[in-house]
Amino acid sequence: MAVSSLAVHLDSITKRFPGVVANDDVDLRVEEGSVHALLGENGAGKTTLMNVLYGLYEPTEGVVRLDGEAMDFDSPRDAIDAGVGMIHQHFMLVDPMTVTENVVLGNEPRKWGGLAVDRLASRKAVVDLAEKYGFDVDPDAAIEDISVGEQQRVEILKALYRGADVLILDEPTAVLTPQEVEELFAVFEELTSQGKTIIFISHKLDEAMNAADDITVLRDGVNVGTVDANATNREELAELMVGREVLLDVDKPSVSTGSSALSVSELTVRDERGVVAVDGVSFDVREGEVFGIAGVDGNGQSELVEAVTGLRTPAAGSVAFDGEDITRASRRSRIARGMAYVPEDRQERGLVMDYDLVENGLLGKQHDPAFAPNGRIDWEGTYEHVTDVIEEYDVRPPDPSASAKSLSGGNQQKFIVGREFSQDPEVVVASHPTRGVDIGSVEFIHEQLLDLRARGKAVLLVSSKLDEVQSLSDRLAVVHDGEFVDVVDPATTTEEELGLLMGGESVGTVDAAPARGDDA
Amino acid sequence: MRDRNVYVAGAAGAAVAVLALFVFAFVFPVDWVVALVDQLDTSLLSAALRLSVPIAFAALGGIFAEKSGVINIGLEGLLIASAFTSIAVAWALQGSVAPTTAAWAGFGAAVLASTLLAALFAVVTIRYEADQIIAGLAVWLVALGFAPFASQIIWDSVNSPAVPTLNNWVAPGLVDIPVLGPAVFDSNPTVYLMLLAVPVSWYVLNRTAFGRWVRASGENPKALDTAGVNVRRVRYASVLLSGVFSGIGGAGLALGQVGQFIGSGQTMVAGRGWIGITAYLMGNYNPIGAFASSFLFAGLNALQFRVQQISELNIAPSLVQMVPFVAVIVVLALVGKTRIPDAAGDHYESGDD
Repeated sequence: MAVSSLAVHLDSITKRFPGVVANDDVDLRVEEGSVHALLGENGAGKTTLMNVLYGLYEPTEGVVRLDGEAMDFDSPRDAIDAGVGMIHQHFMLVDPMTVTENVVLGNEPRKWGGLAVDRLASRKAVVDLAEKYGFDVDPDAAIEDISVGEQQRVEILKALYRGADVLILDEPTAVLTPQEVEELFAVFEELTSQGKTIIFISHKLDEAMNAADDITVLRDGVNVGTVDANATNREELAELMVGREVLLDVDKPSVSTGSSALSVSELTVRDERGVVAVDGVSFDVREGEVFGIAGVDGNGQSELVEAVTGLRTPAAGSVAFDGEDITRASRRSRIARGMAYVPEDRQERGLVMDYDLVENGLLGKQHDPAFAPNGRIDWEGTYEHVTDVIEEYDVRPPDPSASAKSLSGGNQQKFIVGREFSQDPEVVVASHPTRGVDIGSVEFIHEQLLDLRARGKAVLLVSSKLDEVQSLSDRLAVVHDGEFVDVVDPATTTEEELGLLMGGESVGTVDAAPARGDDA
Repeated sequence: MRDRNVYVAGAAGAAVAVLALFVFAFVFPVDWVVALVDQLDTSLLSAALRLSVPIAFAALGGIFAEKSGVINIGLEGLLIASAFTSIAVAWALQGSVAPTTAAWAGFGAAVLASTLLAALFAVVTIRYEADQIIAGLAVWLVALGFAPFASQIIWDSVNSPAVPTLNNWVAPGLVDIPVLGPAVFDSNPTVYLMLLAVPVSWYVLNRTAFGRWVRASGENPKALDTAGVNVRRVRYASVLLSGVFSGIGGAGLALGQVGQFIGSGQTMVAGRGWIGITAYLMGNYNPIGAFASSFLFAGLNALQFRVQQISELNIAPSLVQMVPFVAVIVVLALVGKTRIPDAAGDHYESGDD
């Protein structure tokens, strides 16, 4: 690749918010026609830096240069006019409208003196753009009818339609299947070959190494190094990101499994709309085992977890806990039996955002005599308990009287995990336990899960992160459209095979036997 | 597409029902059935169109507001305010200018009053982010209280004296078309306005850039904002449009039909704004569907007035008055899903994360 000039040069950018330095003298150089990954943990300042480039924030100090020219952006509008496009993590698309309508929104070609949108010209512009960059999109399809991967391409088309030469993508792979990720990276290549420059934010090492030409690592708002993607390795990047050595490969000692702790049979669950979301699923989670469920989000995982934890009544089938039927048992009785639950949406289900950590730490234990003797809550005891949890799980800031909403996402998650695991549960249902958590905390949460497993507890782990379910699980079920496509041994299954299974294709050759012999 | 099928099925169903009634009357010449069939004539069609005016205009206004993300349940209040204003202004001017001029001045004043009230609602809900439902109820309650009160002050009665009205316009030539001619082309100007406003609204919503912005603003304002369009401006424009439309509707009711302001009880508007909301929901935010629903309701209402006059039919009038409302409920159940804009009712602050 013949790269010569700098398309983007963030020249010693400092961005201060009241009390916080989000970016501290960050220098970022992105060469024209290259793919540049911005790698870092949550809260490292990646998104802030990109928002400066996109004109959402004005830098406290420093200059944004495009093609060597100093820019002064007051709003994203200015950035767009200067040829910078941003694809947000949450797509900015209007669901009922078509692909074409979304691409041209706000810049519609007009006819009849502006009285009407020129629909033919709009459609042609979109088709031409898609053809030029080799995108596969249906210009007339409604956004709500197309896949997430296609929606992302529509977002990219939107930016290109507005004349973007520099594309910023915020965590673009978070919502994609492995195949869609491959497609996205192919799109990157096509775009850069035609002179576009791409900056993408990520906290995934592998994807930065696969897709990028250069990688800049941010830590605590500081640029700790820009490296050539071909001349680095995962260990080096991880160390740069976290600032210390990180164990990337989970060290999973073998544990003897016991009898079935959680048994689900022929479970059928309907979602809010009455559509069958889980269709006759059966499985057992044994003591000392992590049973993983992998799949693209929205294939029934949420409903399955809700049925198991007692938040949703299944339409058919049964759930048993230590051989006892709990299909219709209340949430309270499940908690009392020792079922811990790490919900997928920590702000919606896991915490009351306006409560402080003491009150949040009590949630789920308010009936437990240890916390509420004689029906009255023992606040002092709760305070002490929460203080212990905060210390043990390294929740920051370590202040029990802080409200939940004042914590960062990663710390909220650590707190929930701590609250749930500190109760010495028999069964743990963990739904996306490390979603949005930085790799230092991911490592910690993984250790906790494996510790539970080592102590003979049963763990049901649902995650859309393939590497996570693959490395932690003893057996791995792949769910598609509410059914288990297959149950595989994660150690002998490749990511490609899992990807195909997640897409609903059955791979007949995979051995579905458990990782270890029964009741070793 | 599905939309269209529902309308086709509805129209076919109505036609079959009317036809069946004729056949039934022919086969079994029972007195009251014959009397009922006698009512289905050109003047009924004409009355239905006239009665549609306030409902359809309120519905069109409601569509624009809600499509942009602002639920305007104050339509009833806007109708009351404009009905009152139109009569008050026409009454004040009637001695000094020609009756037609007075009526049209009343019409203009009504649109202005309704738009100003809508502007107040817009500022409160968009700028100060008040709850839209509560603000909408306030608009209704303020109008419901203020109009009869002002009427009492001006005329010493909650009802006004008669004022000059907007006279029918006859379209030469067209009026000679059988059935349709006398029903449509000898109508009040506000009826013509309605027949024009419905397709124009559809066109604006579906074919112009502004219409797309309105829809995007109600579905995903952030998408519109990041596309460089000012969401607040779009919402202000939409709510003001709902004021303009309701103003025409209220003036149409007062000056095109009744000729005076009646402030007793629920006032002369008597729930037409609420029916307008039902009409656009029934029409799934499509101006044409909303008009069809308004027309259906108005038609049943017109029929209901006449059925009360049939002496052969010995039914309590209050039961007959229920028929249009029951029909609305039945149709609502049959039409099925109305798709409410995703962001309807939500405030939008640019730059919120």
